[in-house]
Amino acid sequence: MIKLENVTKVYKGDVVAVKDGSFEIGKGEFVFLVGPSGSGKSTLLRLLNREEEPQAGHIHVAGKDIGDLSSWKIPYLRRNIGSVYQDYKLLSTKSVYDNVAFALQVIGRPRHVIKTQVPAILELVGLAKKHKNIPNELSGGEQQRVSIARAFVNRPLILLADEPTGNLDPATSVGIMRLLDRINRTGTTVVMATHDRSIVDTMRRRVIELDRGTIIRDQARGVYE
Amino acid sequence: MALNANYIARETGQNLGRNPTLTVASVITVSIALTLAGVALLVREGTNNLAGKFRGDVELIVFLDPEISPDQRQAIQTSLDENPEVSTFSYVDEREAFEEAQDLFAEQPTMLRLLREGDVPTSFRVEPANPDFQSVVALRSIYEREAGVEQVESATEAIRAIQELTEKLNFGVLFASAVSAGVSILLIYNTIRTAMFARRHEIEVMKLVGATNWFIRVPFILEGMIQSLLGGALAVGLLLGLNVFLFGALANNQYFELFQNFEFSIGTVIGTSIPLVLVGVAIGAVGSGFAVGRFLDV
Repeated sequence: MIKLENVTKVYKGDVVAVKDGSFEIGKGEFVFLVGPSGSGKSTLLRLLNREEEPQAGHIHVAGKDIGDLSSWKIPYLRRNIGSVYQDYKLLSTKSVYDNVAFALQVIGRPRHVIKTQVPAILELVGLAKKHKNIPNELSGGEQQRVSIARAFVNRPLILLADEPTGNLDPATSVGIMRLLDRINRTGTTVVMATHDRSIVDTMRRRVIELDRGTIIRDQARGVYE
Repeated sequence: MALNANYIARETGQNLGRNPTLTVASVITVSIALTLAGVALLVREGTNNLAGKFRGDVELIVFLDPEISPDQRQAIQTSLDENPEVSTFSYVDEREAFEEAQDLFAEQPTMLRLLREGDVPTSFRVEPANPDFQSVVALRSIYEREAGVEQVESATEAIRAIQELTEKLNFGVLFASAVSAGVSILLIYNTIRTAMFARRHEIEVMKLVGATNWFIRVPFILEGMIQSLLGGALAVGLLLGLNVFLFGALANNQYFELFQNFEFSIGTVIGTSIPLVLVGVAIGAVGSGFAVGRFLDV
């Protein structure tokens, strides 16, 4: 599903974010990216949906070398990749329902599809009763559920999550991880960058550890350290 | 991909309402630019009418020297007869010339008392075959040089003076409208940039979930084009108003007979306005096109 070959990404001022990174992630896998701040976890995720381009190496997503994509095709790549962030990136003026529906509207899904899929996904994330609320009226955990619903409503092949529990307390985080696990079990590949030791140690999934841009560990059913 | 018309209409409407001061500023600037251009076009139309009217009854008056000999007069008459550039001509003798002068000075008794038959020069009234400027000037120079001719008069001078004046006027007005068109583009550019900046979070999310660039751009481009379209409509209104209150007043003013051709039918004003509105929409498209192009390259 995802394949990196000797990928290197250097930011301005010789800041090495990813150095000669290679790995492969199969369909339906759940992978944690761990490592200290600045080790290159977020950059790796941004490379996968082509928010960034590497200076060297090749990245394949769903069988395609995304370095070869012309810029007008990038939106179609992103329709196969859901993204979840630490800060949720919800639209504060739109209701829960509209935030999720927005993701379908802007890719031109017909109204009858939106009308059936949005309530279904809100049911899945447990927010069916709050579909009329705006994000400010929700707790952090609930806001993250909305953001996951938005990322998953189009049934993407891959879900990228950048510190999705970074702003949440441990109990709430467990709920979010259950949700991601559930999504993973529908066959969606999940790649999650995290600092949260207890989550990684509890879930016992594949762990890829980065240190200053270099992959120093790739372990099946791994732990945080 | 299918652009949802409902979605686009709603987004564009929201954008327009979100920043009313900038929207109003853009609309007014566009309308000023287009009104100026419209005035220039109408003035040119008026000048053409004017010149055309002069051409319709253009006439050369060949005034003869009082001392002219019958032979010289006959020579001129023969030359006029044989000249293919002359359509018709007639001779105004001393009596007729005197009667004309009496009509001309009817309200000036002193002049009338002093005027004697024989004081008023006799003349040939010549109607040229081609009433255009060059032919008339050519005819003039032929008969000015004939022996026994005192001077030749024609309407060409007046036509040329009016044409020169309106050309200068037109240049000034067109220059001003070009400048304001430029300002309009910059203003619309800025309005759209501001609108996009205000909605940058939304745009970020749209890009993340895979909206195409055109899907994001179209409402903003439409916003710019609607602003300039409104400006165009306002300009048409202003031109119709100007036609009634300024050109109309000029045309009905007895001291400005020349401007009688400057009152236009509503059809003419509307006809002039159509290209203006199209230019206006183009201004909006250019301004907002630049704005969306630069913003999305993130």
